[in-house]
Amino acid sequence: MNKNRSKEYDVIIIGGGATGAGTARDCAMRGLSVLLVERHDFATGATGRNHGLLHSGARYAVTDHESAAECIEENMILRKIANHCIEENNGLFLTLPEDDIAFQSQFVDACSSAGISTEIIDPKLALRMEPSANPDIIGAVKVPDGSVDPFRLTMSNALDAKLKGADILTQHEVVDILKDQDRVNGVELFDHEKKEKAKYYGKIVCNAAGIWGHNIARFAGVNINMFPAKGSLLIFGHRVNKMVLNRCRKPANADILVPGDTICLIGTTSERIPIEEIDNMYVSKDDVDVLIREGVKLSPSLATTRILRAYAGVRPLVAADDDPSGRSISRGIVLMDHKERDGLEGFITITGGKLMTYRLMAEEATDLICKKLDVDKKCETANIPLPGSEKSDETLNNVSQKVYSINGITQKSAKDRHGSLAHKIAQGDENEDSMVCECEGVSIGEVKYAINELHVNNLIDLRRRTRVGMGTCQGELCACRAAGLLCESMEEPGKAKDDLANFLQERWKGMSPIAWGETINEIQFTSWIYEGIYGLKPDNN
Amino acid sequence: MKFDNIIIGGGLSGLTCGIKLAEQGKKCAIVSSGQSAIHFFSGSFDLLGKANGEEVTNPLESMKSLPENHPYKRVGLDKIERLTNDALHLLVRSGLNLNGQADRNHYTLTPMGVMKPTWLTLSDFTSFDQKDSFPWKKAVILNFSGFLDFHTLFIKDGLKKFDVHAQIKTVSMKQFDAIRKNPSEMRSTNIAKEFDKENAIEEFAQKANVLSDGFDVVILPAVFGLFNKTIADKLKEKIEKPVLLLPAIPPSVPGIRTQITLRERFQELGGTYLLGDNVEEGVFENGRLLEIRTNNHGDIKFEADQFILASGSFYSKGIVATHDKLYEPIFGLDIDGDSNREKWFDEKIFNDQAFMHYGVKTDQKFRALMNGEPVENLYVAGSVLGGANPLKEGSGAGISLLTSLHAAEQILK
Amino acid sequence: MKKEIFEPYNVSDNNFEQCVKCTICTVYCPVLEVNPDYPGPKQSGPDGERMRLKDPEFYDEALKLCLNCKRCEVACPSGVKIGDIIQSARIKYSKSKPKLRDMILANTDIVGTMASTFAPIVNTAVALKPVRKVMDSVLKIDHHRMFPKYTGLRFETWYRRYAEKKQQEFKKHVSYFHGCYVNYNFPQQGKDLIKVMNAAGYGVHLLEKEKCCGVALISNGLIKQATKQAKHNVEAFKKSIVDKKMPVISTSSTCIFTIRDEYPHLLGVKNEEIRNDSELATRFLFRLIDEGKLNLVFKKNYKKRIAYHTPCHMEKLGWSIYSTSLLKMIPGVELVQLESQCCGIAGTYGFKKENYQTSQEVGKPLFDQIENSKVDFVATDCETCKWQIEMSTSSKVQHPISILAEAIDVESTMKLWQK
Repeated sequence: MNKNRSKEYDVIIIGGGATGAGTARDCAMRGLSVLLVERHDFATGATGRNHGLLHSGARYAVTDHESAAECIEENMILRKIANHCIEENNGLFLTLPEDDIAFQSQFVDACSSAGISTEIIDPKLALRMEPSANPDIIGAVKVPDGSVDPFRLTMSNALDAKLKGADILTQHEVVDILKDQDRVNGVELFDHEKKEKAKYYGKIVCNAAGIWGHNIARFAGVNINMFPAKGSLLIFGHRVNKMVLNRCRKPANADILVPGDTICLIGTTSERIPIEEIDNMYVSKDDVDVLIREGVKLSPSLATTRILRAYAGVRPLVAADDDPSGRSISRGIVLMDHKERDGLEGFITITGGKLMTYRLMAEEATDLICKKLDVDKKCETANIPLPGSEKSDETLNNVSQKVYSINGITQKSAKDRHGSLAHKIAQGDENEDSMVCECEGVSIGEVKYAINELHVNNLIDLRRRTRVGMGTCQGELCACRAAGLLCESMEEPGKAKDDLANFLQERWKGMSPIAWGETINEIQFTSWIYEGIYGLKPDNN
Repeated sequence: MKFDNIIIGGGLSGLTCGIKLAEQGKKCAIVSSGQSAIHFFSGSFDLLGKANGEEVTNPLESMKSLPENHPYKRVGLDKIERLTNDALHLLVRSGLNLNGQADRNHYTLTPMGVMKPTWLTLSDFTSFDQKDSFPWKKAVILNFSGFLDFHTLFIKDGLKKFDVHAQIKTVSMKQFDAIRKNPSEMRSTNIAKEFDKENAIEEFAQKANVLSDGFDVVILPAVFGLFNKTIADKLKEKIEKPVLLLPAIPPSVPGIRTQITLRERFQELGGTYLLGDNVEEGVFENGRLLEIRTNNHGDIKFEADQFILASGSFYSKGIVATHDKLYEPIFGLDIDGDSNREKWFDEKIFNDQAFMHYGVKTDQKFRALMNGEPVENLYVAGSVLGGANPLKEGSGAGISLLTSLHAAEQILK
Repeated sequence: MKKEIFEPYNVSDNNFEQCVKCTICTVYCPVLEVNPDYPGPKQSGPDGERMRLKDPEFYDEALKLCLNCKRCEVACPSGVKIGDIIQSARIKYSKSKPKLRDMILANTDIVGTMASTFAPIVNTAVALKPVRKVMDSVLKIDHHRMFPKYTGLRFETWYRRYAEKKQQEFKKHVSYFHGCYVNYNFPQQGKDLIKVMNAAGYGVHLLEKEKCCGVALISNGLIKQATKQAKHNVEAFKKSIVDKKMPVISTSSTCIFTIRDEYPHLLGVKNEEIRNDSELATRFLFRLIDEGKLNLVFKKNYKKRIAYHTPCHMEKLGWSIYSTSLLKMIPGVELVQLESQCCGIAGTYGFKKENYQTSQEVGKPLFDQIENSKVDFVATDCETCKWQIEMSTSSKVQHPISILAEAIDVESTMKLWQK
């Protein structure tokens, strides 16, 4: 981390979600000097708390033509530039007996006018393609949906920004926006690690903080009408489906089942919540019950599949400026030049939109930044692959297929997670190959790589980089091992114990709403180990 | 097949009960659905470590302040002291070497480097009289290279509070090359299997002696003596400095040895230990359990005069939770617990979780309740009983040992 | 109360998800201890299954190192069918083709038919060092292995010639699934079974053309053939059990385990109609005695110190209690129960050159126990355990039924029910 407080950046970007990281990358690629700041870690807001669906746009085709067209365009771009973050598994829009089959033709028409290819599939064939689908379906349409790993996507953007000279500060929270009369010229940050404040200066401050941008704007003295919409999701213990399953009807609760890495997830519910609740969202009993009830309609086997976690994300909805009530909500991309809107120079806000359009949002924001800075450079983010998505390394492919290769699981997993950057993970001897996380096949080498190169401050960050603790046991075996390794690299054992306790608390937050069956057995066991045998307490220092 | 007594559950309660009954000449069978939670044994049997949030020094005294429905209170405080003696003697007769007393907790060092109060500690481990002092000034913490389940830095950090200068060193031994090559199997039990073969212990002790030069104590993970019961003692003989063993991530090597020791004692007394079998249903008549049917034995049912349910808590599936209910999966016994799942949990993991208190309902004599009525000859013992949070109290082993001895006594009356 | 009463709802019936990662299975895996190339039951089973569901490329051919001893399942406190998960994965994902050697070892009845026809030649030939060297280098069948001798007179032939007629004299009847070993290698065990059952008042009949249970085919990846044979056997069992109301008994713990517990979930061959009435002879006899329907009278001069070894599949079935209970009934028997450990042979596994060393290392603790037990001989219910123990220790091995056959006073026993 290259902290240069005296330097004046061209642009300071607030928010380490996909949009912020994407904007940082775009700005850096156009030769700007960039500081990206994030109060926690990458992808901790809405970016990391959604379906991980690589939308084809089909879901919006009937209701929102513009979003649909944006999605399919970005979908095709991501396949090119982010292949290690996505899976091209296609999707099915299923019509159940309770749905109106007439909607299907309307849907297909809308898709084709938005440029989304569709194929109507005989239900029997659809069931062969996707055996987990509800056998009662009366209609099926194939669309180019897929899965995207938002953590990897965001990290790759941040990594590329860094490679191109951007400075990145995580665990740095904006506590004030610095102004010189009618001009924003920097930010004041609170460093959560060192517990100290510092000022950073930039010509432009870009607010890409998602729903938290509401508060950022207030620091700058401007008002944005944001309405947080909470969406809850459930993660199931393994992959039930290979293709994305959607309900072929107007968007409603729990009508998308997405396979992603080792798991699959169903979502979402949608509920407007007060802005005060955005930092403390719990998934209610009713949310869980709705998700299961509706999810089972898409894939009946979900009824008997273990649920690993429940979580909720919050989508930043922005009300039109002339409508403070929030009735007319835009779901599209919102780019605000506060000079034009509020007479405040040097400050822009990029918000709304969705994970799928993060790159487009970044492009639009960067275009505006460049215009303001009078820089004339074209956007290249749609053409140049992200780090990790360059042509994949053949030798890694070979290794994973080698018969009797007992390290196959960790090596193949590493390749899935880091793409061509997997070559940076040391391997080949037992000091690096041993597994830290047995559920997800994370090796010591991978953990060390993440700690050294991927901005890991704590165990929770490490989880987002490597999937440590994201498996069936939710950290029961691996948390302590990973804590040990992290502790070695940071040489602050006391802090590492707190970190371990925080990690278990964070895992529990997702487990408690669904803690029955094996989950309650597992958590009892985990508590016995950590609290009973190890004597771990919430505050160890 | 006819037995005098059948015990469902082969963990600490089941085995204690079985040994007690078999010692009195009863023909007993234990049905265990798999290896038990003794496999995660820390090395110490707790009686009462905390009561009402306060750390306990005299468990027998502090028990008076426990709530009325606590298993200890239901056993009767007048009997507890005698039962603690009985339990100790039963364990010693079975071949376990233990230190500790019921009226005064001692302390053991946890792998987080903190002192924890406890009742009886296996002689493998070190018992401390004081919680705020450590008898040595300079400690060397030895780990095996590649062993991820022993957290030396945490121990070192914990020892700082005692003003102990600790240094971490690593030992490499070619005996572990094979398991280290396997990315998931450098586990404490696999290390212990190498030491079980005896030839590794000499070499290790020599290395440890060199590395511990200038230190007062050698701290090691408890990976000695899985199936071989003499290795832990041999290690201590061969290492010149005092040896302090600390638990590693489970399964626990001394725990498995403890399980085997108790199981062998039970079998030597003529007991039948059926591992890997599940009791599927019971046949009841006039408020009595006549016989049980198991998965392996099908139509050959097991009859007994008395039965003991010692099937454990959620982890062991003694009770099962679904999204809308709690139930006892073998007989459908009454459960002491809230049926609304929102009441089961606290959102903070380190808080007292309600579900930890749940268990099977019994009458005053620890006979299981079924539809509100006691089953005349079905006793309940161990962690399948509700009424306490053994994790918060540090009372799990005590409840298992004492309630099962209590149940055995009722049967022997 | 039965478990079915409670409707499961998000309590996983995807069995591998019941794993709470306690890692106990790894403690009891006999292979892991001696062969670090094996990923272990936890990684191969529930952990690996989850990865394979993500991408079949995660399948690891090292899973074939699993002995299918099921000791992981017996140990698992959470009811995970670890061994089944591993075997199913092999069936579903393995791309490696069975070798000629594997086909030879697996086709116990075809090879047995040929070998027993030419028994003297085959026995001499496979006993010859040069032949064993060829088998070692060409077929990769380890040269240390003594092949079980093939008999000149197959059990089925003997039965038709000498025993069949007499069976009609009894009022009660059972069918006998003798298995390949009795038929081709050791007819005496079948003869002993008939002696004991006749003494107990039962006529013994053969099934309509039994086929090899298929255990070796399954473990060598010849699933199509195994399925075909399983279907055939289930039909043959049905004719006895459903049509003639004759239960089927066997003296091979592995055959009966395969038929009862591996047919449905590994091969998808349904066996509900026959499962309950297919069992081991020792369990059948025990039940009769337990229910007071049979009394055995034993010879007074039978005095032996016997060690009982629990074969892996007996451990899984939980049925060694029947064999040991019967042996304990013999007044002159002093029974030593050996600590239950795998002998390492695991059917055809130990015959393969690449597994020989592993196989012997797995069995070593058991062999040491036997050598230290100072017994007259070892009793066990599994024929491959018998080969392994006889090859690796100084002890002879007998089947509990053969021991009964020797110890029972047949006439006195028969008189009890003839009255």
